[in-house]
Amino acid sequence: MQSNNNVERVGGASVASPYVASTAKKRKKKWNWALFFFVLPGFIIYSVFFAGPTVAALFLSLTDWNGIAPTFNYVGFSNYTNMLTDDPIFVQSLGNNLKFTLGVLIFQTVLSLFFAMLLVKNTKANIFYRAVYFFPTIVASVSVAFVWTFMYDPNIGVINNILSAVGLENLAKSWLGDRNIAIYSLAFVQFWAHTGQMLIIFVAGLHAIPKELYEAAEIEGASKWQTFKSITWPLLAPSATIVVAYTTIQSFKAFDLVIAMTGGGPSYATEILSTFLYHEAFINFRFGYASAAAVIFMIIIAIVTVLQFRLLKSNDVKF
Amino acid sequence: MKKQMLLLMMVVLLIGSVLAGCGNADETGGAESGDATTINFLHWRGEDTEAFNAIIEKFEEENPNINVEMNALPSDSYIANASATLLSGKGADVFASFPGSQFEALQESGAYVELGDQAFIDRFSENMLGAGQKDGKQLAVPYQLVYNIPVYNKGVFEELGLEPPKDWDGFLEVSQTLKDNGYDPILFAGDVSPSQFINPMVMNNQPSDEAFAQLETGEEKLTNDWFVKTLSQIKELNDKGYFQKDPLGTKKEGAAALFAQEKGAMLALGSYMMATVAEQNPDIEQGLLSPITVSEDEMKYEGIHTSTFMLGVNAKSEHQDEAMKFIEFLTKPEIASEYANATGQLLTVKDVEYDSPELTETAAWLDKKTLFQPRYTLSKEQVSKAIETAIQDVLSGVEPEEAAKKAQEEVDRAIK
Repeated sequence: MQSNNNVERVGGASVASPYVASTAKKRKKKWNWALFFFVLPGFIIYSVFFAGPTVAALFLSLTDWNGIAPTFNYVGFSNYTNMLTDDPIFVQSLGNNLKFTLGVLIFQTVLSLFFAMLLVKNTKANIFYRAVYFFPTIVASVSVAFVWTFMYDPNIGVINNILSAVGLENLAKSWLGDRNIAIYSLAFVQFWAHTGQMLIIFVAGLHAIPKELYEAAEIEGASKWQTFKSITWPLLAPSATIVVAYTTIQSFKAFDLVIAMTGGGPSYATEILSTFLYHEAFINFRFGYASAAAVIFMIIIAIVTVLQFRLLKSNDVKF
Repeated sequence: MKKQMLLLMMVVLLIGSVLAGCGNADETGGAESGDATTINFLHWRGEDTEAFNAIIEKFEEENPNINVEMNALPSDSYIANASATLLSGKGADVFASFPGSQFEALQESGAYVELGDQAFIDRFSENMLGAGQKDGKQLAVPYQLVYNIPVYNKGVFEELGLEPPKDWDGFLEVSQTLKDNGYDPILFAGDVSPSQFINPMVMNNQPSDEAFAQLETGEEKLTNDWFVKTLSQIKELNDKGYFQKDPLGTKKEGAAALFAQEKGAMLALGSYMMATVAEQNPDIEQGLLSPITVSEDEMKYEGIHTSTFMLGVNAKSEHQDEAMKFIEFLTKPEIASEYANATGQLLTVKDVEYDSPELTETAAWLDKKTLFQPRYTLSKEQVSKAIETAIQDVLSGVEPEEAAKKAQEEVDRAIK
């Protein structure tokens, strides 16, 4: 209340009154330094585990450190220039990442919305199905990877065996061995594992839409498509933005699934940025180079995040 | 004011206790308790923990003043995790390392104590010690031995009247006979076989123990005839249908399962798979054979071996004498035999008695002329990966010349 009064007084006067100035001065004196110590643990943890490594990565990206030796050389921006101008594997990884992310994004968003529309009513059956769809989300991704690797096996895997059993052997593929489709096979597993999570966000978003709007549309004689287009979709946009943002970042960061299922192969066909920098750091022992990749990765994620925050803001619907 | 001071003191105490909790346990515990010294043994073979525990128990009985603490890290992140602590001076006293690029990286950082003057060196087969040497110094002793050549089903070969082939034409004939009789001649694991099968394929096409190493100095190129010929031979095997369906999509476990089910006759992995296969199918009789890619009279090497699990003593250890004693104990023939038979591992130590048919079969290869795995002579993993990718490219339909050219470009980038 005190604060509001002050604002009114300041707003109402063309110059700050002596009363306001003295109150501000008093407040400055009242600054409680003890409170600073409350944020100190968080500040230390953030500095040690987030800010520190980020600064270290920025520094290491300018060196040729191998990750083991106690010494290294300063190489300027050559890690960056080499990566961006003379490293086809990095470029391929970036391309694979885009394919993977787009594949997951499109299918996961569309299908989780579709399933959410089907399961929006809180009936016992729907709650059961929501739990079933959500189940893969709670399974460890490495377990998911092992199971799907066996399922995808061209010789003993259940997918090709079922296709052959029903006379569709033409559709049986080398799911993880064919470099033209391997990245999409991985994207499908990512989609399978996380659709349930997105479904729940969409269901929550659908429940937040006032029923009166649907009743009004019904009275006006709107068709189902018109209702979806004019009511459901616009009011679901904030949820959709969260789903899109989350899916994009999750897909960009996908690592465990790829490492466990293909290791980035065959012929780098499933190498994505996160596995690329892992291989550079821990297999090739080029920590400096890997740090440069991490910085570029961080910039890409930052750009995507900023774009999505803007989208989120523009889609902020009030009703 | 008093309240604020109290609050402040509480926060400071809280932070203090958290920071104290993060402190090094060594500061309170230390490596020595009473008269006993504790040494740390670090390796990546979690599956051998039980066998090692039994051996450590015996060691501690024999050396009551030394305790051994063992840690097993996952193999794929082993070197990254191990190296940081080893070089900090707080890591293991005795540690295992891989040959090749990982050994190179550690020795460059001065992680090893020289072992050349230790009496236990004489217990090893001399030709198996090379992987742990650098500039004439014995820095580590390879303890385990594997043969990176295909495992074959002796029963199937006998049934069809086949013998392990001695030249390339013979290898193609055997493969064709197997295929005609409904077997997948070669089971190829897309994730592992490219890095394994290349070794015996290349050993006689370029019969030099420095062929791969010279790629890093620029003296050899992957566009040279020997490598293109090797890729062409792999393509020939693929084109003739001697690999199972979709080899690149088949994982190691899948290929091993097909072999154990006796659907295929050769498994393009190595001797380290024999124990796993025997567990899955105890009736299968296994042997080792090499694809000889030249005529019989041109053959120089009969197979490929890798001496690995290289034991070393940390140069920063404060308990180097105790660490040496532990390695000395591990290399006693009776202890080595116990470890070998408990884990199914063939060892580089002499006079070891093996009690399983697989190990006995593998041990027979000790007398054959084998080449140390060429891939492990590379110090740069990118070069190894370029070779592996060339094979994957060929199996994906890329022409050998083109795949070799692409691989050489990758090598050029790695060594520039």
